[in-house]
Amino acid sequence: MGEKKLVDARGMACPGPIAKLTRAYREAKNGDIIEILATDQGFIPDIKSWVESTGNKLLELGQDGSGVIRAVIEVTAKK
Amino acid sequence: MRALKGKRAVIVGGGSGGIIAANLLAEDGMDVTLVTDNQYHFFQPANLFIAFRGDPAEKYTRNVSELLNPKVRLRVERAKRVDLGNRTIFTESGIKIDYDYLVVAAGARLDYDSLPGLRETREMYGDYYSTPQSAAKVWETVKGLQVGKFVIAVPDLIIKCPPAPHKGTFLAASYFKREGRSVEVELLYPSPHIYTEAELAKTVEEKMRTFGNITFRTSFMIDSIDVEKKTVISMSGEEVKYDAIVSIPFHKGPDIEFEPSNVKDDDSFIKVDKNKLNIIGYDDSYAIGDCTNAPTSKTGVAAHLGAFTVWKRINGENAKYSGRTNCPMITEDEAIFVISDYEHKPVRQRFSKLKRLMEDIFVAMYFPSLRYPKRFEPIFDAYFKATEPEVLGERGW
Ligand SMILES: Cc1cc2nc3c(=O)[nH]c(=O)nc-3n(C[C@H](O)[C@H](O)[C@H](O)COP(=O)(O)OP(=O)(O)OC[C@H]3O[C@@H](n4cnc5c(N)ncnc54)[C@H](O)[C@@H]3O)c2cc1C
Repeated sequence: MGEKKLVDARGMACPGPIAKLTRAYREAKNGDIIEILATDQGFIPDIKSWVESTGNKLLELGQDGSGVIRAVIEVTAKK
Repeated sequence: MRALKGKRAVIVGGGSGGIIAANLLAEDGMDVTLVTDNQYHFFQPANLFIAFRGDPAEKYTRNVSELLNPKVRLRVERAKRVDLGNRTIFTESGIKIDYDYLVVAAGARLDYDSLPGLRETREMYGDYYSTPQSAAKVWETVKGLQVGKFVIAVPDLIIKCPPAPHKGTFLAASYFKREGRSVEVELLYPSPHIYTEAELAKTVEEKMRTFGNITFRTSFMIDSIDVEKKTVISMSGEEVKYDAIVSIPFHKGPDIEFEPSNVKDDDSFIKVDKNKLNIIGYDDSYAIGDCTNAPTSKTGVAAHLGAFTVWKRINGENAKYSGRTNCPMITEDEAIFVISDYEHKPVRQRFSKLKRLMEDIFVAMYFPSLRYPKRFEPIFDAYFKATEPEVLGERGW
């Protein structure tokens, strides 16, 4: 079992949540789960495209009633 | 107005934020001490002109003392420890200074050790984030590169002036084109678009395409730089060869111990209230500019506006910092400004020659506006008001 990490990027507009995610990803290893909370709407398409091009796995992506976006990623693409 | 005459203010850091704060408070008749670990102040944006145009470093370097109101007491020394509860700071040589108000403006600490190859390549080719001397080394690298690939590598996005990697890319590409050299400039970038914000990224991408000698990779997470093989390796194993490389270092908070220690986050950035800029839990101590964890870009504009916010708050006004940024992304003859605040992501922009001229004007105003912040404030204020994200809105600028 990998580790679980929470990245709270709520209220980050510039630079966006991806900036915080990349810091957490750098520390992570394959099998780890990273959960990211964000409020920047641009994060929804961004996280999809980042996960796809880096070859990792998007386990969950959704938004709650208050507008908070939650994405859960499994780290799979580290060599 | 509070009666501030004779009250003691200690400012840590002789960068943009610290100098403006010190000069403003000194004019109120406060007893101001500025503690900074470097007798020189560098105008950091000009590192680009040193690195890619060969401008002399001296043009953009000043003694901190020249930029200060003579009433400010200057101590060129590293601040080592701050005891927030007892309102005391300790310098490296053991001097103890008590304060009534504290403003920490110690900037970001650059880290070249978190990625294999970063320090070595900096020594070989220079970099334009640290010092004018290292920027001058980039100029030597650029001048010496006759053919091949010049890589600008961005391992991390929590950096000063987020458009600065792009500025470097544009300026390098222009230089190689003008010299008629067959050198490709490649920007390696960790986010899924070539700028952190998607709309702005489209504008930047279009501009890059017009050059013909710029390429880029996105979602490129750098793992290491192999100095022997002259190769950048991504976390998924992708490899990019270079002939010369300039990387952007990691940024951390300053190397100052705090009592209590929980006012610093995991990366040593100082935790502040993002609007009031007081250090969390204290109302007489503030942190401004690059050293804080405020969720906005690390820019000179944030340091400048932060200094004014803190000055007003110390004077008893309920001033708030909006998270406003204003980072120019320049080519040789055009510019856009990345303008955002806590509530608004960067507004749409079109490259224009007029904005490039405005950038030259800001550069010319820089040193005098540090020394005489109040005199220049009406000009900055008019500009900031006219370009609020709220005002520019959807139609952009
Ligand atoms: C290449 C480049 C281009 C840029 N372009 C732009 C731009 O176009 N527009 C813009 O707005 N911003 C730009 N910036 C960012 C801007 O330069 C910074 O955001 C700004 O300088 C931050 O000011 P500051 O006062 O917070 O920190 P700094 O100006 O970095 O000053 C920090 C000071 O604290 C001192 N210090 C550090 N630790 C200690 C200690 N322990 N004790 C005592 N003193 C200490 C340092 O010596 C320094 O004097 C750019 C930056 C770079 C690198």
